[in-house]
Amino acid sequence: MLVTTRRTALFSAAALALPRFAIAEADQRPVVTIAVQKIANTNTLETLREQSNVGSRTWNSYAETLIEQSWTGDLSLRPQLAESWRRVDNRTVELVLRRGVRFHDGSEMTAEDVVFSFGPERMGWNLTVEQARNLFGTVPGQTAGRTPPPEVLAVARRTYPAFEKIEVVDSHTVRFVNRVPDVTLEGRISRNVGMILSRRAFEAASSWLDWARRPIGTGPFRVAEFRPDQILVLDAFDEYWGGRPPVRRLRFVEVPEVASRINMLLSGEADFACDMPPDQIGTVERSPRHEVVGGPIMNHRLTVFDKNHPQLRDPRIRRAFTHSIDRQAIVDALWGGRAPVPKGLQFAFYGPMFHEDWEAPRYNLAEARRLLREAGYRGDPIPYRLLNNYYTNQVATAQILVEGWRAAGLNVQIEMRENFPQVLSREGQRGVRDWSGSASFNDPSSSLTAAHGPEGQQWQINEWRNEEFGRLAQELDTGTDRARRRAVFRRMLEIAEREDPAYTVLHQSVNLTAKRRDLRWQPGQSFQMDFRSRNWGA
Amino acid sequence: MLRFLTVRLLRAALTVAMVVTFAFVVLRMSGDPAQIIMGADAPPEAVEAFRAAWGLDRPLWVQYFNYFGAILSGDLGRSMRDGRDAIQLVAERIPATLALTLPALLMKVALGIPAGIYAALHRNSWVDRLVMIVAVAGFTVPSFVLGLLLVLVFAVQLGWLPSGGQESWRHAILPVVTLGLGGAAVLARFTRSAMLEVLGQPYIRTASAKGVPWHAVVTNHALPNAAIPTVTIIGFMMGSLIAGAVVVESVFSWPGVGRLLVVAVANRDLAVVQCILLLVAATMVFANLVVDLLYGLLDPRLRNAPKRAVA
Repeated sequence: MLVTTRRTALFSAAALALPRFAIAEADQRPVVTIAVQKIANTNTLETLREQSNVGSRTWNSYAETLIEQSWTGDLSLRPQLAESWRRVDNRTVELVLRRGVRFHDGSEMTAEDVVFSFGPERMGWNLTVEQARNLFGTVPGQTAGRTPPPEVLAVARRTYPAFEKIEVVDSHTVRFVNRVPDVTLEGRISRNVGMILSRRAFEAASSWLDWARRPIGTGPFRVAEFRPDQILVLDAFDEYWGGRPPVRRLRFVEVPEVASRINMLLSGEADFACDMPPDQIGTVERSPRHEVVGGPIMNHRLTVFDKNHPQLRDPRIRRAFTHSIDRQAIVDALWGGRAPVPKGLQFAFYGPMFHEDWEAPRYNLAEARRLLREAGYRGDPIPYRLLNNYYTNQVATAQILVEGWRAAGLNVQIEMRENFPQVLSREGQRGVRDWSGSASFNDPSSSLTAAHGPEGQQWQINEWRNEEFGRLAQELDTGTDRARRRAVFRRMLEIAEREDPAYTVLHQSVNLTAKRRDLRWQPGQSFQMDFRSRNWGA
Repeated sequence: MLRFLTVRLLRAALTVAMVVTFAFVVLRMSGDPAQIIMGADAPPEAVEAFRAAWGLDRPLWVQYFNYFGAILSGDLGRSMRDGRDAIQLVAERIPATLALTLPALLMKVALGIPAGIYAALHRNSWVDRLVMIVAVAGFTVPSFVLGLLLVLVFAVQLGWLPSGGQESWRHAILPVVTLGLGGAAVLARFTRSAMLEVLGQPYIRTASAKGVPWHAVVTNHALPNAAIPTVTIIGFMMGSLIAGAVVVESVFSWPGVGRLLVVAVANRDLAVVQCILLLVAATMVFANLVVDLLYGLLDPRLRNAPKRAVA
């Protein structure tokens, strides 16, 4: 018979508490603080809503995709939550899930979670306008519910334009099935939108917003605290399948001012300071304990046109814009030569799809003036909606651009805006604006069609459409003949960058991070920050 | 006294109503919250649904009367971005802001008034000039420059204090000093001017000629008379307790009302912005009311003025 006395109870409690206490005491892993300009534009951690450069920095610490893009390595596709995959046919990929992977709530990842993560509950495939009224559960008089907001569906459609279903083969094998052939399915699966999240946790959440602020994934860190506009705290998840994380806690602290971020770093309160402008490298590196790391990433800065603006309807005027940009001057003056002028909206890691001989439009003011004369442009104003340094050096770049355009005879007027929705708003007239284009995997469909094709933002907000380009985008997405796809891509570049410009490239983006010199950590070729043991102290 | 109070309370209510109206109109003219909150990817039907749900599709005057009616019943609205009551969001941030602005106010008074008095009593001395140089510098240097300068010296170079954040009381020191120094400079200048004006008055000369000790002349005759402009400035400073640290909170990453205001304005989170402005207006009006009452206490002529006017 078990007799419980107060003394035995106390001893038992002490015995239970001791090991945990001892573990906590023994945990010598560092707490790492990262000063960031912004944690999330939408104040959520759900990549289906938070499609931003700033959101890219954090998501892969708390969640993972089936296939991983190796941003800190050779940019190849690598197994992550899927330990292997194979092509069944040109529209189906079969993936074998890694066993023993646990979510942060302790449950094991299974095929059901993959089905959920690509399913209508999360991606809103069946969302109607009526359901869209349930926006974030914040609308008065509406039930909160877990219906995702409508832009989630827009992002899902853009990422998986021909998604059909996930088939469960067994508890650890799934098939990703597309409606049409797609040679880039593996790349699409690697996009952050396809992160795998716990179905059980979703069903336990009280509202979509609560869920989106504390998603339960499989990453090396779990969300401990998220105070929008202030701080995101991620705690090490020691049951992580990839090994115990090397950092006990990650703190992403929102510090909007560059000077304040640098000061936090130099005074020792932050270990990393993100979004460093190149002119601050000297300031940081005057301290022997600090350095600036990083370089070009798979992202190009763009100037984007709204061809509905009366002055921009004529493609010759947009072409004049493209010829009156001294890209090298921007790169030299603002980036110390660190940012390459790209060969159009494409990246060398496209491999056989990369067009080595393609160039950005040449800086040629005479040609720009000729085009303007031909088009009969009379100096009417063209608005340029501008954000205050959302992109590093954005305002300084804009000033150089406007002067170049002025030299060609274009009357471009800067209109400052506070956020992207204001830049994109249909109210008033849109003219030109800033943007950036990322390649999330090694194929032009990840950038050119994703951003400018029929499911892309430019097309969807009716900024730029081109019938032939739309047809070609579909062919690029569904074609399986490499030579034909390469020719299609070439033609798309000709349309979007020459004949009927949708945008023009400025320079490849450079992502500079200031950090403590003694921390052995490598930046990737994207905005992502990897704090797994493979990228720490190696 | 009752009439005095009634008139001022009515004026205060009118001022708050005007601020609320102004904020309401300006905010709605400066951008569509539906488009901003839902993002550019949301389809037009969804944006329209959002507008309808929040009543943004109704005529402005209908929205205005609904809003005003809600305020009178104590409902300050809900955040479109967060879904919670605006007052709850703001109330969460007020302690953080007061943790900066109250000590800063004490610092302003404790440094500014004695410095101003001392400078006035030692007019044209090197102390007076030094106080005025420091005061002009403190008055003219913007708070973000002063803040960064203090961080460079005390956080980066000396490593004595943290440069930003809100983890401990030590994190509050530099922002409090940044806020306090500028305000102390303003108070020092006003106090000095007021004292100099009073010290030149005939009744000061009379008191001195009668043999009243100089310290008694200063304490009993000069200081009470010089207090009115100083109290006015302190009143303004009290009025900015809630949202007077917008820039400093940004520089020091301090999560107070000021940063909430910046974010809410950028996102056109109408209820939150209106709630903050209402609180700011109410604080400012209350502070002025207190100042008006203090005028009466400090200067009997003002207290009796209405009676004389009536007579």
